[in-house]
Amino acid sequence: MVFSYNWLQSFFQKKLPKPEKLAEFLTMKAFEVSEVRKAGKDFVLDIDILPNRAGDCFSHQGIAREIAAITGLIYRGSTSMVSEDKNLKAKDFVGVEVKNKVACPRYTAGVVTDVKVGPSPKWIRERLKVCGLRPINNVVDIANYVMLETGQPLHAFDDQKLEGEKIIVRFAKNREKIVTLDEEKYDLNENILVIADAKKPVAIAGIKGGKIPEIDKKTKIIVLESANFDSRVVRRGSQKLDLKTDASWRFEHGLDPNLTEMAINRAAYLIQKIAKGKVAKGLIDFYPKKVLPKRVKLDLDYLEKLLGIKIPVREIKNIFKRLDLQIIEAKPRYLLVKVPTRRLDISLPEDLIEEIGRIYGYQKIKAAFPTATLIPPKRNIEIFWGDMTKNILKEAGFTEVYNYSFFGEKEAKLFGYEKKDLIELENPLSGEQKYLRASLIPNLLKNIEKNFRYFPEIKIFELGKTSQKPNLEKRALTGVITGDAFYQAKGMVDLLLNKLGISNIWYDSWQPTPEQTKFSIWHPKKCAEIKIDGEEVGFLGEISPRVLHSLDFQGKVVLFDIDFEKLSKISSEEHEYQPISKFPAAVRDIAILVPRQIRVEEVLNKIEAVGGRLIRDIDLFDIYEGEEIPRGKKNLAFHLIYQAEDRTLSSKEIDQIQNKIILALEKEIGWEIRK
Amino acid sequence: MKIAKIDLKSLKKQAQKDINLAKDLKELNEIFKKYLGKKGQLTQVLRSLEKLSKAKRVKIGKAANQLKNFLRIKFDQKAEALKEKVRKEIEEKEWIDITAPGKKPALGHLHPLTLVKRKTEEIFQEMGFSVVEGPEVETEWYNFDALNIPPEHPARDLWDTFYLKNGFLLRTHTTPVDVRYMEKNNPPLRIITIDRCFRHEATDASHEINFYQLDGLMVGKNISVANFKATIQEFFQRFFNKVIEIRMRPGYFPFVEPGFEVDMTCLICGGKGCSACQKTGWMEMMGAGMVHPAVFKNSGLNPRDWQGWAFGMGFDRLTMMKYKINDIRLFYSGDLRFLQQF
Repeated sequence: MVFSYNWLQSFFQKKLPKPEKLAEFLTMKAFEVSEVRKAGKDFVLDIDILPNRAGDCFSHQGIAREIAAITGLIYRGSTSMVSEDKNLKAKDFVGVEVKNKVACPRYTAGVVTDVKVGPSPKWIRERLKVCGLRPINNVVDIANYVMLETGQPLHAFDDQKLEGEKIIVRFAKNREKIVTLDEEKYDLNENILVIADAKKPVAIAGIKGGKIPEIDKKTKIIVLESANFDSRVVRRGSQKLDLKTDASWRFEHGLDPNLTEMAINRAAYLIQKIAKGKVAKGLIDFYPKKVLPKRVKLDLDYLEKLLGIKIPVREIKNIFKRLDLQIIEAKPRYLLVKVPTRRLDISLPEDLIEEIGRIYGYQKIKAAFPTATLIPPKRNIEIFWGDMTKNILKEAGFTEVYNYSFFGEKEAKLFGYEKKDLIELENPLSGEQKYLRASLIPNLLKNIEKNFRYFPEIKIFELGKTSQKPNLEKRALTGVITGDAFYQAKGMVDLLLNKLGISNIWYDSWQPTPEQTKFSIWHPKKCAEIKIDGEEVGFLGEISPRVLHSLDFQGKVVLFDIDFEKLSKISSEEHEYQPISKFPAAVRDIAILVPRQIRVEEVLNKIEAVGGRLIRDIDLFDIYEGEEIPRGKKNLAFHLIYQAEDRTLSSKEIDQIQNKIILALEKEIGWEIRK
Repeated sequence: MKIAKIDLKSLKKQAQKDINLAKDLKELNEIFKKYLGKKGQLTQVLRSLEKLSKAKRVKIGKAANQLKNFLRIKFDQKAEALKEKVRKEIEEKEWIDITAPGKKPALGHLHPLTLVKRKTEEIFQEMGFSVVEGPEVETEWYNFDALNIPPEHPARDLWDTFYLKNGFLLRTHTTPVDVRYMEKNNPPLRIITIDRCFRHEATDASHEINFYQLDGLMVGKNISVANFKATIQEFFQRFFNKVIEIRMRPGYFPFVEPGFEVDMTCLICGGKGCSACQKTGWMEMMGAGMVHPAVFKNSGLNPRDWQGWAFGMGFDRLTMMKYKINDIRLFYSGDLRFLQQF
């Protein structure tokens, strides 16, 4: 909110600090001043009033009081000495009826007759302009002026345009309409509080005035409204109508009901002075439940303990005095303080401690390390496994990406998600954020597509949260490699799992249902379930051409997608050293021709079964099909590593086992050992 | 006899000359054969000794054997010199251009937010803080009500929120984690959270719809503003490796009272005032304050028993400051030209 420096000065006899200096004081002790700029002979201070101080500081008076508290200068309130006309009685002109005292805790109205509506004097016009308001006529300008001065929104009605000489504060009826001062039409409903005359709404309470009882050049009698409306009611109305005004903004944050009287008197005084009116006797004041000042007790030990600094009691008392916080009881251990009703933000001892802290100066609090019990921090095992996983993938050449937590309808369709499984946003900013991501895959594939023109080979991964109904939030680990890289990806998964202390890994071919096949993102013949101890923990495979084509991607992409919640539960730091055999190992090779569809697993199982304990390792070093190999066959070549733990194996012994293996393999129909 | 004597002398002279002239090991080998081979000249002299009288045999034999040993040494020395020459030549041939670029092993890259997260966690862990996490999909209660932000309160406008159709919302800050943690753990406690949050707002170079927040909480019997100042100052000094001061200004966050805005010495000018800090010498870093009694109450703790501080800061911004990154959107772009710089 912007403030006029000259206006602020008008509350003090002594000179204020220079605008820049004043801004610094305010920033350090009250509110940040984001800008100071010259405006003619005045200066404009743009002050970011903290929301909890809106009640008293969305006003020049409020800021002036803050300045007084900070600088110690004496604050003088403005004059509002009205001389009422004894022959006129306000209640003869208008009757006020408040239907809902929760929505409208106070309604104060006054009447001024014989006004001469015309332009405002220059000083009012200038102050309004400095604060960003457009001058209209003296009556309207004074209402605005008093709002900027006191924080209390005021409204002026032309009395003769109010039907039935009545003001009724009530909720609107459905299908009621109103045209506001700026000629905008609004449809009202039962949630919107209005000011009505005997027949129709004439203003949206606390938000904006209606066109009908507008003050114009012919207006003679005005009804001034200075009311207090419930913050939630105004907020709801303002949101419903999508209409924010200087008034609604103030009411939304809450105002002191005791402010209405002071503000209306100030306005009446100015109208009398400037528009030459007669002020009718007696305010009409609906105020069923008077708000009284709160009393808050401040424990002085607590003050010291919370701020971590000892402030002399004399100093504390002085700060309270400057803030107009009256001490009604002073004991060595505590102070009992009466809080002015305008300070809606103060109700707890902590609130008083804040007042003392900021005015005394937070910069005077010296840094001091806590004296606390030594409690070693707890280890976060989930973060530990996450970091470990990231390190392994990084070392293997993968780059980590962070993607948005969302995807759109297009991705949902393409990846076969059903709406009923996805968590949908109520208020997305764009179609791309319609759902929470149920998988990391869609956004990773987009990364591939975007990067492919700069990088011929890409290896990326993400470890992030995915969400699906019913409110399942899970960490997933997904890695992507471009190219014909199924075995690379599989090797990566093996390596990762081994490093995480997991050994019992199994890859199962996937048998989708026909429905699944339709939406599957996987190449049906190049994918596998990743299983650990028989439980599925993820999936590995090439992305189907159907998906890649829709993403405009030329080429192949292989991907692994792992449930990280499961993974981090079974990962283990346990690792045991295996003694190195003192006896040499011997290597023998076997090359075998088998039908194409025979899986390596089957051959390995056979070799292991026959070979027994003395075969320490079997290493498949070549798979070949093509030229020089009969059609429908493939050649598998293995290194068999023989080793015993207790002796050196003789050639004879090795040859015996090797021959047994060869015999067993050759027994299979269509298998042929190549010699 | 006289001849034999002369023979040995000239033999020695000639052999020495031949050895010196040998150009490579092959030539040297030929020369060796010429003198010391089976049919070599010196070998023949030695063989002819048996035909001589005993006295002569002893005398000439001694001289011939001396010559043999002498020549062996010469041959060895020459052979070594020639080998050395060959090695030199090979090395010379194997010259490489050491200014040509090296071949780097293909390591991957961790995301800058991951790197800075680790660094931050390390500093706080060293000061006794545990690192905790919480859900991204939150309830109104934890995100707002429990933090003393009642429904229909204008303070809710401070947090532009993504709501979900299932009645939940995406947390707008990591502060809900504080409440969740206090519900389950009794003070004294020290925690930080670095995790993903969401804001319903237009994106630009400094705003993103998802981002990371660093949130900290310390609760005990006597935890004060002075302790906050020391702890956070220490964090910034260790993080930026510089002498840094912090200052506190009044701030408002419903879940703390008193509340502060926390500034730190400008990293660029060291506090003198420059364009980066709008000439103030300070940079705005975080919001903080002393935990509001209502928050303790909502977390199941008695505010009379406990006090402490909490802070929250944009973690993306901290990372941007660390690496001088000028656009937050780069973090979520997946652009490898950016990511592979880390």
